[in-house]
Amino acid sequence: MADNKICDFLSVRDLEVEYSSGGEVIHAVNGVSFDVESGKTLGLVGETGAGKTTIAKSILRILPDHATKAVRGQIFYKGQDLLAMPLDEMRPFRGSQISMIFQDPMTALNPTKVVADQISEGLVLHQGLDKAAARVEANKMLEMVGISSDRADEYPHQFSGGMKQRVVIAIALACNPLLLIADEPTTALDVTIQAQVLDLIADLKAKLNTAMILITHDLGVVADQCDSVAIVYAGQIVESGSKEQIFDHPTHPYTIGLFGSLPDISKDVDRLSPVEGLPPDPTNLPAGCKFHPRCPKATEACAQGEIPNKELAPGHFCRCINI
Amino acid sequence: MATLIEAKNLKKYFPSPRGTVHAVDDVSFTIDEGTTMGLVGESGCGKSTLGRCLVHLHESTDGQMFFDGKDATHLEKEALKEFRANNQFIFQDPYSSLNPRRTVKDTVMEPLQLSGKYNRRQLEIECIRLMDLVGIEKRLRLSYPHELDGGRRQRVGIARALALNPRFIVCDEPVSALDVSIQAQVLNLLMDLQDEYGLTYMFVTHDLSVVRHISDTICVMYLGQMVEKTTSKELFANQLHPYTKALLSAILSTDIHHPTKRILLKGEITSPINPPPGCRFAARCNYATEQCKQPLTLEEVKPGHFVSCCRVREINNL
Repeated sequence: MADNKICDFLSVRDLEVEYSSGGEVIHAVNGVSFDVESGKTLGLVGETGAGKTTIAKSILRILPDHATKAVRGQIFYKGQDLLAMPLDEMRPFRGSQISMIFQDPMTALNPTKVVADQISEGLVLHQGLDKAAARVEANKMLEMVGISSDRADEYPHQFSGGMKQRVVIAIALACNPLLLIADEPTTALDVTIQAQVLDLIADLKAKLNTAMILITHDLGVVADQCDSVAIVYAGQIVESGSKEQIFDHPTHPYTIGLFGSLPDISKDVDRLSPVEGLPPDPTNLPAGCKFHPRCPKATEACAQGEIPNKELAPGHFCRCINI
Repeated sequence: MATLIEAKNLKKYFPSPRGTVHAVDDVSFTIDEGTTMGLVGESGCGKSTLGRCLVHLHESTDGQMFFDGKDATHLEKEALKEFRANNQFIFQDPYSSLNPRRTVKDTVMEPLQLSGKYNRRQLEIECIRLMDLVGIEKRLRLSYPHELDGGRRQRVGIARALALNPRFIVCDEPVSALDVSIQAQVLNLLMDLQDEYGLTYMFVTHDLSVVRHISDTICVMYLGQMVEKTTSKELFANQLHPYTKALLSAILSTDIHHPTKRILLKGEITSPINPPPGCRFAARCNYATEQCKQPLTLEEVKPGHFVSCCRVREINNL
């Protein structure tokens, strides 16, 4: 995954993102590399503040200007480096080829515009449709996500949370993107609605052959949706591989800790075995392995130098020296 | 085991411009001392309202409540104060439930000060003891909530709830705002405290895997009513109500080799404003018939297993 050969579809190489805040430098992403193949789904898993959303926003280049101090590395989309492009050339990719489903449907929609207009916006901009044609398409998209087009002229506040998320999905898929970045698409929803939305995304993805980067902290969602998985901790990918490799043979102590933290519905466990402690402060990351202060297996060597990304089996990588 | 909490036909209605919201509608249950009752349901089903009624954060519209055998439906002044010392609440969102202008020490000490049982020196000692009990470092006693992470904030909420040695605590989604690794730490803490002090919990949550982990008995709520009520073990082995079945099937297991078959429900939760008689779940139920429009009650289908569904025997071949 982290080799030099780039993938035909999407390859992220050595991505680093720094924010500045109150004179301090926040190391949000620290050398992340991964590939996504056409039509496949990669799960980016990690806890709050691990840098998952920053990685996603880097791909679309929608990081907040005022706070972003530096973005380094390459993001190859069909062989072209998105980060090296002038912004004018980059812009046409957004929304048309690469689009994003935002985490919180309550805030992702414009409260002052009816939903049909919000869906047509991208169609007018990217596909050159006139307003009437875009409106017809917008109605079709609404029907596709299971909302009657009778409600196209309603405002976001007139919809429930699950329906708002469907509208957000309709906007993201309106231009048939090749890559969909879904940032915690179901976190704000109830389980029965989550089931509906996940089924919808999976259906549409199969229909349109869209690749997806699914950002989540929920390993159940990953098990349900993804082909491959990357576990993110403190801005680094600590373990990556196929879904089977990660779920059947979790190897990095952090990955094992994540699985231990989950009360599993199919098992009776008396006591959870969570990861002790807290994620590190991104303004002051520990030297060596970023996880070593919380790691039950840490040795002195863990606090020194760069930790190499070892290949355990073809495609299964783990950033740990004690395995 | 003795019954500590009992609710009989409890109702809580809210007036609204469009009609009466039946947030909690005729709910009865008991909780034994030292056990945990899980209360499960989706947003808007009335589970938080029920929890709030039980500790008098809301006054119930109708029905009765008993605490330790004594009627606690209508309480005032001293009786309410005494009741509150025994019945506490842990809030869902540790980001908004703490006063941002008060330090950890101020927040934890407040109930102790109000009780009037401690002098200044004892207050300090008791505060440090409580912080230690829930695993907040002593050095943080002068910190403000914004300086703490979510897990520690929730621990502050727990310390405050424990301050007056309550016997019953309503935990309203206490871990849903926390990351998984922190969530597990807080769940372990709550279970340890229960073992040590014999606490009784009502654990309100929408997360069924958490509820299985922590509860002895489980009540499933839908639109203000109980649809199924039994022990945790029985519920996960033999759920009988169609809503419970759908809810359980929607949990995503991390077992990638045995994916669960999802039962997809039609549409979304219907309005709790002036609901029609009959089964409230019928609008989304895959088994609904004309018969479901008749009023129905919770009935004991198997020993200790209560279900409110007129077709329950038919659906489950009982």
